[in-house]
Amino acid sequence: MSGFLDGIRCGDCECNVDWGERRNTIASIAAGVLFFTGWWIIIDAAVKYPDQGQFHHAYHTCGVIATVAFLMINAVSNGQVRGDSYSEGCLGQTGARVWLFIGFMLAFGSLIASMWILFGGFVVPQKPAVYPGIAVFFQNAFIFFGGLVFKFGRTEDLWQ
Amino acid sequence: MAGIKALVGLSFSGAIGLTFLLLGCALEQYGVYWPLFVLIFYVLSPIPTFISRRLSDDDSSSNACRELAYFLTTGIVVSSFGLPIVLARNNTIRWGACGLVMTGNAVIFLTILGFFVVFGGGDDFSWEQW
Repeated sequence: MSGFLDGIRCGDCECNVDWGERRNTIASIAAGVLFFTGWWIIIDAAVKYPDQGQFHHAYHTCGVIATVAFLMINAVSNGQVRGDSYSEGCLGQTGARVWLFIGFMLAFGSLIASMWILFGGFVVPQKPAVYPGIAVFFQNAFIFFGGLVFKFGRTEDLWQ
Repeated sequence: MAGIKALVGLSFSGAIGLTFLLLGCALEQYGVYWPLFVLIFYVLSPIPTFISRRLSDDDSSSNACRELAYFLTTGIVVSSFGLPIVLARNNTIRWGACGLVMTGNAVIFLTILGFFVVFGGGDDFSWEQW
């Protein structure tokens, strides 16, 4: 038993690296938690209220568009938009800007749509089960903030 | 490279984690085996990291492939906790079983992380180590 823990090197793992390098890892993990928690919230609501009358299935569109927006926003790097990356990519700098613009518009749009669904579809008609509307709102809010964290929480500086 | 003792320790913790999972299914007061679906998430969780390490040897501070792998791995981990909670909220499994499954998840993912820390670190990570 004397050498049981010898193999586990706690001292020289990446913990010695400064926070600058850890920032990208932490941002990626936080974005993953937010994004997937959003989807599990809507899965939970869909399982509990399978009826179209309680939770109209068309409301799922909001989360799907938010996911598409997440993918669009994170498909282009900040370097391609600024124009200082090594390769031009398929669309060039202007194309990257248009792509990012459309991606952010879809993201904001789906967030606003989720609020509309909550108030217009559940609160105002005074449905007995409001939880599906709250779930749609929180799904889209989490996906939106997950996208923001993944996009802006990471730094692309190759040297620190 | 760490030796046999770390391997034995990690396999022990892996066995404990799987024991928690099976207790959540097989105890008399539970008796349903739906939680075994989290095994899919256990198997999937190291794959993105393996793929990103294979594809890119770039160890600089910002590596988009590695960050995408961390994002997907986090998603798989969150899903393995989300599934028992959704099952328990829907009364498919009991909350006690859900708690046992989540404990098993935590132990298994710490085991997998332990594998990466002990056996996977270093600049010369290559498949020849296997």
